[in-house]
Amino acid sequence: MDNLTALITNIQGYSIHDGPGIRTVVFFKGCPLRCAWCANPENLATNREVGFIAKLCTGCGRCFTACPHGAIVPGEGVYRIAREKCVSCGACVDACYYGALVRYGEPMSADEIYDKVKKDKMFYDASGGGVTVSGGEPLLYADVVRCIFEDCRKEGIDTCVETCGYVPVESFDRVLPFTNHFYYDLKLMSEKSHKDHTGVANARILDNARYLAGFNVDIIFRLPLISGVNDDEENTRRTSAFIKRLDLPIRRIELMPFHRIGSAKYDALGIPYAYAEMESMTAGEIEKVRDDYIACGIACTVST
Amino acid sequence: MTRQVDDSLLKRIDAVTLSEANLAWKNAMKASPWKVFADRERWTTASWKETEGEDIQLRRAKLLEKILDNLEIKIHPFDEIVGRPTPGVIGCATAFDVCGDYIPGIWNDDGEIDATLDVTVEIGKEDLDILRSAAKMFGGKSAQEMCYKAFSEICGDWYRNVESAKLKDPSLDAMITGQATSTLSWAKILRTGLRGYIKECNAHIDAYIAGNGVDVNKVYFWRSAIIVLEATIRHAKRYAALARSMAEKSSNQHERLRLLEIAHVCEYVPENPARTFREALQSMQFCNLSKMLENPIQNNCHWGRGDQYLYRYFMEDLKNGIPLETLSSQLADLIARWGTQTFVSSASGKESHQINFGINNIMVGGLGQDQEDQSNELSYLILHLVSLLQLSAPTVGLRWNYKTPEWIMDKAIRTNMATRGGIPLFENDEVVIKNFVRDGIPFEEAVEWAGLGCVYPCIPTRAEHYGAEGIAAINLAALLHLTLHNGRDVNGSLTGLETGDPREFSNFEELYGAFLAQHKHLVYRVFRFGNIAIKEQPKYYRTPLLSILGIEASMELGQDLVIPHPDFSLFGISDRAIIDAADSLTAIKNLVFENRKLTMDELISALDNNFAGEREEEIRQICLAQPKYGNDIQEADAMVKRVSDDSAAIIKSYDNAPFRPYMIAREGLAWHYFGGLGVGALSNGRKAFEALNDGSMSPMRTADKNGPTAVLRSAISIGFDEVSYASVLNQKFSSAILRSDENIGKLIAYTNAYMGEGGSHIQYNIVDTAQLKDAQINPKDHSDLIVRIGGFSAYFTQLSDSIQNDVIYRSEFDL
Repeated sequence: MDNLTALITNIQGYSIHDGPGIRTVVFFKGCPLRCAWCANPENLATNREVGFIAKLCTGCGRCFTACPHGAIVPGEGVYRIAREKCVSCGACVDACYYGALVRYGEPMSADEIYDKVKKDKMFYDASGGGVTVSGGEPLLYADVVRCIFEDCRKEGIDTCVETCGYVPVESFDRVLPFTNHFYYDLKLMSEKSHKDHTGVANARILDNARYLAGFNVDIIFRLPLISGVNDDEENTRRTSAFIKRLDLPIRRIELMPFHRIGSAKYDALGIPYAYAEMESMTAGEIEKVRDDYIACGIACTVST
Repeated sequence: MTRQVDDSLLKRIDAVTLSEANLAWKNAMKASPWKVFADRERWTTASWKETEGEDIQLRRAKLLEKILDNLEIKIHPFDEIVGRPTPGVIGCATAFDVCGDYIPGIWNDDGEIDATLDVTVEIGKEDLDILRSAAKMFGGKSAQEMCYKAFSEICGDWYRNVESAKLKDPSLDAMITGQATSTLSWAKILRTGLRGYIKECNAHIDAYIAGNGVDVNKVYFWRSAIIVLEATIRHAKRYAALARSMAEKSSNQHERLRLLEIAHVCEYVPENPARTFREALQSMQFCNLSKMLENPIQNNCHWGRGDQYLYRYFMEDLKNGIPLETLSSQLADLIARWGTQTFVSSASGKESHQINFGINNIMVGGLGQDQEDQSNELSYLILHLVSLLQLSAPTVGLRWNYKTPEWIMDKAIRTNMATRGGIPLFENDEVVIKNFVRDGIPFEEAVEWAGLGCVYPCIPTRAEHYGAEGIAAINLAALLHLTLHNGRDVNGSLTGLETGDPREFSNFEELYGAFLAQHKHLVYRVFRFGNIAIKEQPKYYRTPLLSILGIEASMELGQDLVIPHPDFSLFGISDRAIIDAADSLTAIKNLVFENRKLTMDELISALDNNFAGEREEEIRQICLAQPKYGNDIQEADAMVKRVSDDSAAIIKSYDNAPFRPYMIAREGLAWHYFGGLGVGALSNGRKAFEALNDGSMSPMRTADKNGPTAVLRSAISIGFDEVSYASVLNQKFSSAILRSDENIGKLIAYTNAYMGEGGSHIQYNIVDTAQLKDAQINPKDHSDLIVRIGGFSAYFTQLSDSIQNDVIYRSEFDL
């Protein structure tokens, strides 16, 4: 795959939670982090994958016939993917009539992606919206993002990057000149906890945030709010202090309360989900965290 | 000048709740059984005997007069506005004098009849006898039945066969043919009172006779108008007298005052010009009531632009210190009253229309004579009350234009949220006006358009003949079925043309040409029947009340609406299932003629087997995978445009249409279920007899894979706005998209963008808990349902049961 092609899992029009106005969100596949609570597990690996939605399977066996690698095995009434044999070729997906097999990841060039997103320009213009790259980690494909955003800038389409921050600083340099907004995750302040829960240390993330703050660009920090992980006052205080030390015109953070709706995708991928049984936080608990941030002098909102 | 609105009044309206009287009525409706009342027929039969031998115009007037003078009336404890066609809270009157012997149930031994879609009511022995004697008296002699006889004279059974195969609507049985509708001339009624009309009629009679006129039919018309107008005034006074006598008997001071107030109002209107908001509403109700009693099988009078003609009464009352809550309560009463008017439909009427309420349409906003948007505080209040009432009727439409202000859009989207969608729907003001003006209607008339039924536009100064279906609803998917079966329909009858065995066609254009030939054959015959009906109906049926109050030109002409006049009549026709036909044609073009994956024989065999069998199912999947409209795929959208343009061209090519122009209107409420019954399996992958696509521009169910914006881009590209007065696009969203003020703003922007690019119509369906639960049980009907949560989205049907329950819980919580 050359550097101007990326693996895309979804391009979603009429997205309304990911930046100003009506947006199209491009989901890039692959992420350097392994957050235990992640709601989009299909965007973790950098290779194509096949998902199996058992409840839609009728047991017709067409996938079994279609698979050239012997990776489909009969089960109780339904078929299963033998992951160790599967090469994600997608032959079974094409054979399935019932939508029980889905393909995660389609290689697309920057031009192909741009051609798709620009079609909704009339909706961006009417609403002050634009394009948001997300994932996964879109900056794993910084050159692709740069190409898309360069064209967007020419057409006056607003641009937004959703990032975990864990990428080489040069990746930011590539996209900075053409980016209007960054949604930037600050998951945990404790380095050890960060490593425990996401698989990586947070030093690079914090360094990049400091670097980014030196430019005249809109930054909205985001925190996936996980009960027992980062909803404590200590983390709130430290996160607030970090944001305050950055010389930003607006200091704000958006809380994204955990939901377990992504568990269906774990099932589809056949990987275990540590948070499958985790309950959602109550409105009261969420409001308390929000109020803590506000008390620390940070404008805080809760994502719907 | 853009209209200045009183922001503080809008805020006060936001705080308005339903009054105690409104709530009492809502509760009474829930508790009341549906009931059929025979009283109207007692008086139709009595009158018809008395007037035997008289002119049809006067007979019809005297029939209504007899009803209005004798019908049992009732004032309910929660009535603010009074007047119902039956004494019941939810009561239906029958219409044997209009439809003939149209309710098969009355001949059953058990005395039960289907009142509506799914309600069976018991009927007492005495009432049943009245209904049966009416059926005997009028049966076989109604305008509809006489039209069928005329059709049989000319074309044998063809007409019945075509209806049975659902190639077209059963217009006559569905009470469509013979219908002439409009909004009433509300502004004039309120301004002059019915006494003003009577004076005008008398002046016309005097002048006509003095001018040596020789056409006695004109004199009969004016006399018939005077008879029904006087009877309407007397009917109001009967309510006044009833209220007074009830007041005398009441020991409750509060109740007595309420009744005396009713008496006071009913003594004054509709005879005289309305002085207050309440008098205006009461005057409207008496006129509507007379219209419903003249023909109970038709719709209510349409409100039309209520926010315009009622505005001065509303604002003056407010200025005079009448509390907003009082005015709201009265307005809610009338909206609900017209929204709950029921009728007893015929079997085929039920089947094709799936309705049990008289359809009514309230229009808000829209351009005025000064080319500025006319949305006002009353438009806002109407939307607010509709969201509180939560009734399935009336239909409410907002006339969207470039100048529609943000505040009314905001209220409109919030009303959609409160009603779970659909209310109000958005129609493109400029598209409708553009179409009328192109067809020769002056701008000053066109700009006053209002919705009829659901989305079809009518003009208050023109009679709309045959309503929203027009002369017929034509089923293009069934025409494709004919094409693939050499002219044979689903019943095996040769109702189409023998255009040849499609297996012999060597290229797509041959097939397409055969399809157009079937289309032309059907449409031309349907027009011919329209011409026959127009000549036959006036012999047996007249509508003096609707004529005099509906169209101002009737007064000048001295002519009933049932006799169409070329200068004041509009006719419609509805060509439907264009998307089904076009997607199917695209599939055939690709699979049979281009990449040759299938032979025509293989395909037709699979269709005839309804895709049963392994190979057939494989063929169905291949069909489903073909490009479909609604995904912004040029190939699929271009086929839709081609079929749309050619269909319109065929309709317009008929040069002996009774009147021109013919208005093409592509809509149809629940018609897609009915239409589907006439269509075998289709090459778009749809199975035999399943419902067709809803609306006229909505993509095939679950075939829109590229999200809602791609659907709108496709809808814009097919150019229905150039050929059709009305088109319908339904979109489904989960409630999450309206969870915050910011998101409401985004749906406004979305609507503005679509309409700004020429979108004709859009209607949002906000998916509620019940629909989500249905999606759990029937995932294949809902595979397009996307759950959107910040940073995440997924297809609902791919979620596990317990997670689906989480989503349902969230939506309950948020709604």
